[in-house]
Amino acid sequence: MPVAPPDGDTNTAEATASRPVHRLPFWVNQRLGLLVLIVSLSALFGVLRPAFLDERLVLFPLLRDISTLTVVALAQMVVLSVGHMNLAVGRMAAFGALFAGFGYDRLGLPLPLGLLLCLFAGAAIGALTGWIITRTGVSSFVVTLAMDFALLGLVSLLYSALTENAAFTTKPSGLAELRSYSLADICVGPVCGSPAVPQLAQFTVLALLGLGFLYACTRIGRELLLTGANPAAAELSGIPTGRRVILAHTLSGLLAALAGFMAAVSTGTFRASIGDDFMLPSFLGAVLGGTLLTGGVVSVLGVLLGTSLVGVIRKGLDLLGVGLESLNIYLGCVLLLALSADRVRTVLSYRKVVRST
Amino acid sequence: MSNVLLECQAIVKVFPGVRALDGVGLRLTAGSVHALLGENGAGKSTLIKVLTGVHTPNSGRLTWCGDEVHLRSPLEATRTGIGVVHQERNLIPGFSVAENITLQSPPSHRGLIDRAAMTAPALTCLGELGLDIDPDQPVRELSVAQQQLVEIAKALYTESRVLLLDEPTASLSPQEAERLFEVVRRLTARGTCVVFVSHKLEEVFAICDTVTVLRDGRSVLESSPLADHTQDDVVSLMVGRAHSATEMRPREVDTSAAPVLSLDRVSTAAGHRDISLDVRPGEIVGLYGLVGAGRSELVKAVLGLDRVTGGEIRLHGKPARIASPRQALHVFGIGYLTENRKEEGVFLEQPIVRNITVTVWKRLAKAFGFVSSREEQEVSHDLVERLGIRISGLGQNAGELSGGNQQKVSLAKWLAADTRLLIVDEPTVGVDVRTKHAFHELIWELARDGLPILLISSDLAEMITLADRVVVMADHRIRGEVDNDRDYERMSGRIIRIIHDRALSAVGPKAVRA
Repeated sequence: MPVAPPDGDTNTAEATASRPVHRLPFWVNQRLGLLVLIVSLSALFGVLRPAFLDERLVLFPLLRDISTLTVVALAQMVVLSVGHMNLAVGRMAAFGALFAGFGYDRLGLPLPLGLLLCLFAGAAIGALTGWIITRTGVSSFVVTLAMDFALLGLVSLLYSALTENAAFTTKPSGLAELRSYSLADICVGPVCGSPAVPQLAQFTVLALLGLGFLYACTRIGRELLLTGANPAAAELSGIPTGRRVILAHTLSGLLAALAGFMAAVSTGTFRASIGDDFMLPSFLGAVLGGTLLTGGVVSVLGVLLGTSLVGVIRKGLDLLGVGLESLNIYLGCVLLLALSADRVRTVLSYRKVVRST
Repeated sequence: MSNVLLECQAIVKVFPGVRALDGVGLRLTAGSVHALLGENGAGKSTLIKVLTGVHTPNSGRLTWCGDEVHLRSPLEATRTGIGVVHQERNLIPGFSVAENITLQSPPSHRGLIDRAAMTAPALTCLGELGLDIDPDQPVRELSVAQQQLVEIAKALYTESRVLLLDEPTASLSPQEAERLFEVVRRLTARGTCVVFVSHKLEEVFAICDTVTVLRDGRSVLESSPLADHTQDDVVSLMVGRAHSATEMRPREVDTSAAPVLSLDRVSTAAGHRDISLDVRPGEIVGLYGLVGAGRSELVKAVLGLDRVTGGEIRLHGKPARIASPRQALHVFGIGYLTENRKEEGVFLEQPIVRNITVTVWKRLAKAFGFVSSREEQEVSHDLVERLGIRISGLGQNAGELSGGNQQKVSLAKWLAADTRLLIVDEPTVGVDVRTKHAFHELIWELARDGLPILLISSDLAEMITLADRVVVMADHRIRGEVDNDRDYERMSGRIIRIIHDRALSAVGPKAVRA
């Protein structure tokens, strides 16, 4: 957050009269609220079902899921930042994973090269989507919806043409380790990491750091946000809005493909159904974290927290023996509560500031 | 005073960080035209919102015909008899005139809207205003002025006895404004009270009979007969000190210098033909014309947003093909202060610091595109001081500022970028007297320091105050050019004659462009 200079309005005589600097109290911060919720819910679940805190059996798969879904939500956040949407995140993930699987199965690529191919494919399909949007001026909602259908067909078609059981099963060396290794397998002398943290999370951490740097510190990140905030003003201010939109969609495709790869590694097979359930969580994670659907405001950390909250709630309720159907009802209620609690906090603090004026 | 319709006493309305209204009183009597004056940010808009039920005051009393009322929603205000015509049009473009007029309580038959029964009441309302508009015509086909009158008709339909008009003449030609005043006179004759909010004092003195002046959220003059005051009185009350219209100091322009921007018989896809124009260093060239003359469109073509179909644009003597505003800024150093501040000028939901530094990120960026926020702060802080922008912090959103300060923020980004040519489009529309004056000083100083400026304005006084030469445009062509001798009477006569000659020959449906 930029820090205000001590007093920006000292040069007109009347300006000093009123208008104190108003700042909302720290507890209004949405991210902090999410963090508190995550910690207290984890503690609650841990007390009710001590098994919840089992590092290998519960926390490890939970964190692996959260890692993947965080990347999915980041893919959504990037397009939301320019005021667009990507309804095809799931299918772009499947598209990327298809290329990785093809690389391992047919080309015999080593693990990193397959990942690279997968990322490239995702970026390319994202760039194409962005290009179509800027060239035609059709809304991203429509274009990505169409892209979703097109890829759904294409990916299934390619799988059935290229494989026998609609899945690539060849596993390059290192894939099994990537799937099941945690920080406990990395030791510096006698000190080993936690068995709860999957090694797969390295990709998520990289994506978080990269995007955090992009949005907080760089010109391109700021230009993406302003393009989302007001495209007309951005264009007139010298921002190449068309290119920024294409960039956002390219990044979105790339991140979606990364998530697809991670999902494939987690399940062990490269199949067409990867990413089927990505779309709604992608919005959920981003929006819970404070990213605006209308563009111009993102929170990279918020995406991680939002996705984690959803993951913790799901896992916790699951362990409490709540059936899948009722689990979704509870989940809906908790999310509604989380979002309205945020609103309540904002309203309360607004009143407080008004009263002190 | 008799027939008091609406009275408010000691109204207080607080927003975070600001007491927008701090003890405002107002008394509106039947059959009067009441002027509500004040600079931007004085609290006029907030007061209107309190009177129309949008905002609930924190304290204070509202009485309607002597009884205390609480207006909790715009609907309650409408039912009480308070109508408002906002600065922005609030009609539904695809609906017909009749549908728009009867929108708030459409005639219905067994729960279904009865379209046939709309026409009669709509015609009655239009008739009371002396308007001849087809009630079945979609609103989007009407001119801006006609749409405004439809909004007034809409207020009549809900039987408003108090009608608030917020800057009603801002987008009207003098003839259209005169027409509006006739309507206002008709309304007051039937006992309606019209509240007139305007920055144009000539109009206020022509039509109003009582006046309330707001300053910093307080009513410094409360429901006083306008005849007791002069324009200078009122201005000094608004500003808070005696207002002096200082003459601009003389400034030399080297007319032999090579032009920075020169258009040579330029034609555009927007319909401009044979536009030739030069702007020299330190020169302010005025581009005058009525709304729809094609001035802003010409600028859009120069910036590469519209296609240039013929002729040549030269910058610093060299032919320039400008493909985009980005190229215009970063290659040719052209800054464009837009006339649509909210839509194209500022990023309302973004911090001031970003609004100002957007044009210099390219320059500030280091390895990996890293932009230091400390440098951003420095650049913004300097400009905030230099332009006297009133803010509570650089992290504040631009949308929280008053209109004049938003406009300054919008200008600040071009000054940050050290542009070598500045195009300013209607820089002081909807800006209060003091800010307007400060803006004129600023533009003048920029030109004195050698910056070439192309000034687009529909405000003749502004043109004659600032411009060295006035180029007159009508119907997408240049109709004449006048060297400014700073004699208002003579200059305005010459300019209007140029436009008028053409207007006479161009009367027809095509000449009317909203």
